[in-house]
This record gives sequence, C-alpha cells and structure tokens, in this order.
Amino acid sequence: MINRINPNVVPDLVAAIEQAQQNVQNTTQQMATGRSVNNLSDNPAAAAAYVNTSALLSQNDQFQTNLTDLQGKLQAADSALNNAVQLMTTAISVGTEGANGTLSAADRQAVAQQVQGLQQQMLALANTSYEGTYIFAGTNVTTQPFLADSTSASGVQYNGNSNTTSVQISEGQSMQTNVGGNQIFTNGSGNIFQALNDLVTALNSGAGIDAANSEVQRAFSQLTTQRVFYGNALNQVQTSQSFLSQEQVNLNAQQTQLVGADMTQVIAEQSQAQLGEQAALSATGQILSLPTLLSYIKS
Amino acid sequence: MGTLSSALNIAVQSMLAEQTALDTTSNNIANANTPGYSRQTVSFTEAPPIEYGGQLYGNGVQISQIASQRNTVLQMRLDQETQQQGSYNSFLSTMQQVQTLFNETSGTGLQSSITAFFNSLQQLSTDPSNVNLRQAVLTSAQSMAQNFSGTSASLTSIQKSVDSTVVQSVSQIDSLTSQIAHLNGQISGAESIGQNAGSLIDQRTQLVNQLSGLIDVSEIDGGNGNLTLTTTSGSPLVVGKNSYQLTAQADPTTGFEHVYSLGNNDITSSISGGSLGGALQARDVAIPSVLSQLDAIASNLESSFNSANQAGFDLNGNPGGNFFVNPPAGGTGAAAAMSVAITDPSRIAASLDGSTGDNANITAMLNIQNQPIVGGQTPLGAYSNLVFKAGNDVSSAQSEQQGAAATIQQLQDQIGSVSGVSINEESANLVQYEQAYQAAAQVASVIATLTATTINMVNGAH
Repeated sequence: MINRINPNVVPDLVAAIEQAQQNVQNTTQQMATGRSVNNLSDNPAAAAAYVNTSALLSQNDQFQTNLTDLQGKLQAADSALNNAVQLMTTAISVGTEGANGTLSAADRQAVAQQVQGLQQQMLALANTSYEGTYIFAGTNVTTQPFLADSTSASGVQYNGNSNTTSVQISEGQSMQTNVGGNQIFTNGSGNIFQALNDLVTALNSGAGIDAANSEVQRAFSQLTTQRVFYGNALNQVQTSQSFLSQEQVNLNAQQTQLVGADMTQVIAEQSQAQLGEQAALSATGQILSLPTLLSYIKS
Repeated sequence: MGTLSSALNIAVQSMLAEQTALDTTSNNIANANTPGYSRQTVSFTEAPPIEYGGQLYGNGVQISQIASQRNTVLQMRLDQETQQQGSYNSFLSTMQQVQTLFNETSGTGLQSSITAFFNSLQQLSTDPSNVNLRQAVLTSAQSMAQNFSGTSASLTSIQKSVDSTVVQSVSQIDSLTSQIAHLNGQISGAESIGQNAGSLIDQRTQLVNQLSGLIDVSEIDGGNGNLTLTTTSGSPLVVGKNSYQLTAQADPTTGFEHVYSLGNNDITSSISGGSLGGALQARDVAIPSVLSQLDAIASNLESSFNSANQAGFDLNGNPGGNFFVNPPAGGTGAAAAMSVAITDPSRIAASLDGSTGDNANITAMLNIQNQPIVGGQTPLGAYSNLVFKAGNDVSSAQSEQQGAAATIQQLQDQIGSVSGVSINEESANLVQYEQAYQAAAQVASVIATLTATTINMVNGAH
C-alpha cells in the first residue's frame, strides 16, 4: 500500500504562488531603483561598506571645494607677489639711474620720489586681502599687517605674525597655504621695505646709493625665492585636483559594485521569475480544477 | 442453529453499523476544510459469536470504535516550529522598521549629517575667520544633533509600539490557557464514560497551536485530558483542569510591561518563543543595543568636540568652551539629548595660537573623525557597524523565519497525510458503505418475505 498524502494541497500551492510573486517583486524593485541592496538586510555587509564609501565621496567633494577656494587665495597671493617683483624690477632700474654721478641733487630727489611711489605701491601689495582677510599677515588675518611707520628703520611696522596655516587637501594629506608677511617683505636676508627706504634716503642724500642698490638687489632675489612657495603650492593644488577626480571615479565605481544592480542579470532574473509565476499559476489552476472521484460516481 | 429473527437482527445491526459509517463519512466531508479537524474512521468488528448446540454462529457486525486519526508527535513538532515562527515574525516586523531608519543606500541615516558636519569644519579651515563659514559649522552641527535625537526618538517610539502589544498578547494567552483547561476537563469527562472525545481534542490541539504562536510552550500529555502546558522555562500555564494566568505590569523605571507568572515571578526575560517572545527580544535586546550604540557615538563625539573646542581660542581670542551640551554621564540618552551649546559662531575655537586666521585647532577637530573614540572605532566606523547590525538582525531572522516556514509547511503536509480529509477516499467509502447498507436492507427485506411466507404457510394449514 502506498503512503497517504496530504489531501489539502491548497496551502502548498498558495505558498508556491507567493514565492513566485516575491521573486518577481524583488527583481522589479531592483530594476526600479537600479540597486541590488534596497534594504539593509539585503546585504548588511555591503550596506555597512557603503556608509564608508559615501562618507569618502562626500569628503572628496569637500576636498575639491577646499582646493578651489585655496586656488583663489593662492592665485591672489601669487599675482600680488608678481606685481611686487615688477615693482622691485622698476626700483632696480630707477636705483641704477639714480646712481649715475652726472645727476643733479634735484634730479636725484625726483628719482627718490619715484622710489617713494614704489614704496607706497609695495605697501598696498603687502596689505592685499582676499575675501576680507589679509593674505600676508601670518595667522593674524583680520588686522592690517603692514602700517607705514616713519619711526621704524624700514618705514613700516608689521602687525601680523610669522605663523602659517595648513589645510587638508586629501585624506591624510595637508598642505601649507601661506608664508608670513614678515618672511616675504621684511625678511632679515633681504628686507624689501628697508631696502626701498634706504634707497630713498641714499638718493636724497646722494651718499651710499650703490650700497642701497645692492640691498634692493638682495631684497629682490629674496622676494623671488619666497614667491616660489606660491608657485609650488598652485602646482600642488592642480596635482591634488586630478588625484581627487580620479579618486571620485574609483569611489563611485566601488559604490556601484557594492549596491548597484547588474541590469543585464536583473532583467534575465526578472523574465525567469515571471515564467516561474506563470508556471505556478497555471499549475495551481489545473490542479484545483481536477475532478474528484465524486464527479464519476453515478447515483 | 440460526433463526430468521436472528438473521433479521444481523441485517438490522449491519444497517445500523453502515449508517454509523455513513454518518462518519458525511461528517468527514462536512469538515474537509475545517482547520484542525482530524478525519475519523470507523472500525468494524465481528460481533461475538453465539454458541448453540456446540456450534459457534456468527452474530453480525458491530462498530468497535470511531477514532480520530492524528499523530501527536508531529503536532508537537508543529507547535514548536510555530513558536519559532511567531517569534521571528514579530521580531522581524519590528526590526524591519528599525532598519529603514538607517537605510543608507537609499540616502536615509546619519552618515550624511555626520560627514556634512566634518565637511563644514573642513571648509572653515580654509578661512577660519569667515563668520558665514562659522555659522555653517553651527548649522551643520545642529542638524547632525537633530538627526541623532530624531533617530533616537524613532527607535524609542518603535520600542513603545512593541511594548503596547505585550498586554494584548498576555490577555490572549490567558484566554487560550483557560479555554484549554476547560477542554481538558471536558475531554477527561467524555473519555471516562467512553465517549469519543475526538472533536474536543481537535479543538484543544488548535488552541495549543494558537498559544504556540504567542509564547513558548512545553507540552506533556498525560492522556485522558491531562495535558500540562508550561513555558519552556517551566512556569505553569495549564495543569489538567486548571489554568494559571500570566499578568502584565509596567516596570516603574522603564515604563515597559513585564510579564509575571504564578507567584508573581517576573518571567519577562525567559520568554523565548511566540510573538510575545519576538516582541520582547526586539524591545529588550535588539533595539536597546542599537540605541546604546547610537548613544555611544553621540556622547563620544560630544565629549571629544568639547575637549577640542576647550583646547583652542575663539575668534575674539578667548579660550573655547563646550561645543555641545555635555552628554549625560555614562552616555545613556546622549543621542536623544544631543544639542549644540554654542549659538554665537565666533565661539568656535578654531585657533590654537589665539590669532583669527589660525586653523590649527580645526585640524585637531577634524582629526576626531579618524580617532578611535567609540569603543575603539572611529565615529563613522562605529556607525557603519550599527548599520551592519541593524541589517544583519533582520537578514538572519529572515533566513531563520524562512527555515521555520519551510519546516511548518512540511509538517503540515505530514499531519495532513495522517489527519486530512480526502474527498476521493471519502467518496469511495461512501459508495462502499452505501452498497453494504443496501445489501443489508435487501437481506432484511428477503427475510421479511421469508417470514411472511412462513406465516402464510402456517395460516394455510388452518
């Protein structure tokens, strides 16, 4: 004798249909969202890793914004120093002209006045501000760093400090963003304001013009040395920008790998799931419409 | 030696027996779709023979018993699986709500607000004296704090809605156990006078299965209506005719309902199965663990930022104070209470040297995101662990639930193969009993004719 089977097949059939419908729904959801992980429970590990890549992407965005801001500031500083270099070039040629022994005292004083004009322009450059803060003030950015001061040997007084700031430009990497104003304009090994002031004094008195000229020369080369920092920093910004863009592409790819749906596969799974659903429905319909023995018993 | 009247007697007895069988068949067909019904079968046996003149004569048929076809072992296994399934179902319906709070892949959760806060500091580091950027830091800090407290509030409200089901479950359990105890009495009463208690046992089996959906149950069937039910940890629910009510009572500190058994025993933490078990597991274990992880992240972020802000100088050159309102001691409730202490953007202590353009202290604050401040993990690392846990709680319960559902389906098939009513089988029986009944009736009619013939024969002799 064969074993008796469960005569009530309805729960099994209904369960099969539900399972088939669930499969269709899963694939439909993946197609609609483009993601294979729609609930944390779909893949908890991928969802947790997604948290980190999302944070990294968002940080990456911020680093790129930082770099753009930084670039503006560095360019402002670089172009101010470029102007300063031109002023110094003028000062050198004017000084050379003033050193000509054939000049009258009045001519020399006229030249001295020209240098004073350069001095004023230099002061304005040293007080360059970018978006409301002084860029050659060290970290004392809200106080005007250079003030004209006739009691000082250099003719100016420095109210900034020699502190520098650094900004993070990528995960674990930061760069220095400024050089103290005193290091650029009143540096011991080439003091721009002192040199210009000495040149004015020499031109006015007619004594020590050559010495003053070579002082201006030293200050000029000191200035070009300091300017290199900003040139390098701008290069560094560009390098970091392209690094961050590449990183962004990688992170996006990682995210897709973690939670993205493979559309080709999902579409294939969906048609399979639909077939499964149809099969379950058709089987159920056929089984439920099977006659019982009762239909054949003639009373 | 047989007589006509004994033959008629046998025929009538046979008709009665077939009628009983037809009744049973009819009852089986009537209950083909009744949940919990176990098909009944009749056993025909020969009636004790009669001895007459040294000969044994067959004395017809009788119904020895009408028996319900059931397998108690399978039913007990079904009850156990039902406890598991009930527990996973209620646990899942709660924890699925919890996981949506952290559904990072669709953009909800805390990651973006934590990162936005650090990013605003990152932005401020490029221009530390900029008041707009300082304000942006405060705004993002506030929205992060709101996100923490909002998430914590959502978790608590999920927890409360689970809690509100406890009282209801307890009263359902009590109602079921008293019905079961009552049926125990009826069954032992019926069986003591030899009645068929099949349909009462069917009812009781149904109720025990319903009870298994609510709470973990251990069954000891002593027979004769002596079914004893206890929780798996041994608290009595039903002993024979007596049921022992569970009571729910709110805990004065937490406000959550606790479950007490006979003798005012708090059995809350030992309830392991059924929807009550799953609800308690979610309310007392899973959600508190998520909440405490959230609190740990919040409180450590707050204290680290407070120390960092205190180490620097604000825009006016004054030493920094608390950035966030100090978290509660021990951290419990930190996420719910998270809020920013600073309202004046100049109070952010960005500077270490006291000058307005220094950002060195922001660097120190930014470093917090890479420091193992939350139980050896970075804030975001701890958060992504929380995300994993919230997802994993659901996914592992889901696979357990699927396993239990498959087992239940299998057990129900097995039980159905023993107890289920097959229309085909009943139809065949119907025809068989009908034919036997007709045959017996025919026999009776023939004997009646014979009796008449005999009577006429006697009459003719006059």
